[in-house]
Amino acid sequence: MSAASHGAGCGVVLGIVLVIFLQQVGYLILSDLMPAIEYLVVGAVVGGILGALIGWVLGRSYLSRHAVNEATAAK
Amino acid sequence: MRTHTPHAKRAGISAAIFAVIVTALLLNVPAAARATPTVSPSTATPAAGSTPYVTWNGNDIANAGTASSALSIDLSQSATLNYSWSAAAGIRIHDVRLEMFYFGFAVTTRDVFLNPSQTSGPVSLGWTPVSVGYVLEGVYRLTASLIAPNGSTMWSENFYVRGTAPLGFVALLPIVLLLLVVYELYGLFRSGRYAALGRTSATPPPASPSTETPPEGTTTPAEPPSQETPPPAGGSP
Repeated sequence: MSAASHGAGCGVVLGIVLVIFLQQVGYLILSDLMPAIEYLVVGAVVGGILGALIGWVLGRSYLSRHAVNEATAAK
Repeated sequence: MRTHTPHAKRAGISAAIFAVIVTALLLNVPAAARATPTVSPSTATPAAGSTPYVTWNGNDIANAGTASSALSIDLSQSATLNYSWSAAAGIRIHDVRLEMFYFGFAVTTRDVFLNPSQTSGPVSLGWTPVSVGYVLEGVYRLTASLIAPNGSTMWSENFYVRGTAPLGFVALLPIVLLLLVVYELYGLFRSGRYAALGRTSATPPPASPSTETPPEGTTTPAEPPSQETPPPAGGSP
């Protein structure tokens, strides 16, 4: 698993969770099914893209600071 | 063996501080959202033959028809809804219903069955949403409806409420979501470590030498008995 794919996975979950959390704190209305699904899909897509970008940047910075043969340390 | 450089430690501390700040900011939101009801109590009485109307603790729900004008309620407090309709409207009502929707599904439903069915109100419906308040909070669409004896909906009206959890934050779903947000943020900041794993898995493994010695403590498996061993010689003369 690469850093970008791991970041994308985290971003997708984060986007979905944030949408539901924003409803709980009163900024979004998820009472109707159709806009609620749209909000969740948009949150997942945006979160996935942003997470992949963040993971990619963090991966590059990590590789610049660590040697490749320390890969087992990441486990 | 895992090594922690000072830079990685600083990044971890920064991520933890960021997560704590986000948590503190998000926890303050429900407290700020707790506001006094913005809808003034309706004192109008229905005229004969007018459309039915419903009041929520004295507030006309027609004034809460949009999310921005939602009724601010405490989900640990009971609410009394008064359904009023007149006989001149020409409807017989058997069931007075209140539904609360989440993702298009009714998460809670309250009914008052009228037996025999009535041609005029008012009918009072009490609702204490404590069980919902320990799970959910936020803005929800509710539907007040009048049901005929044949099951058809004679009248209904949508309105919105902004429910706050008991003590402002004791609701299961927001707490679980907040923990998930913190955990996923931690995972996102930690994703840089997976770069080394991705690089090593992308490169093909080197060819294994034939002279590889087995690790210590392992025993070579015993050779299976050969299939070509001749059978024991019979006692031929």
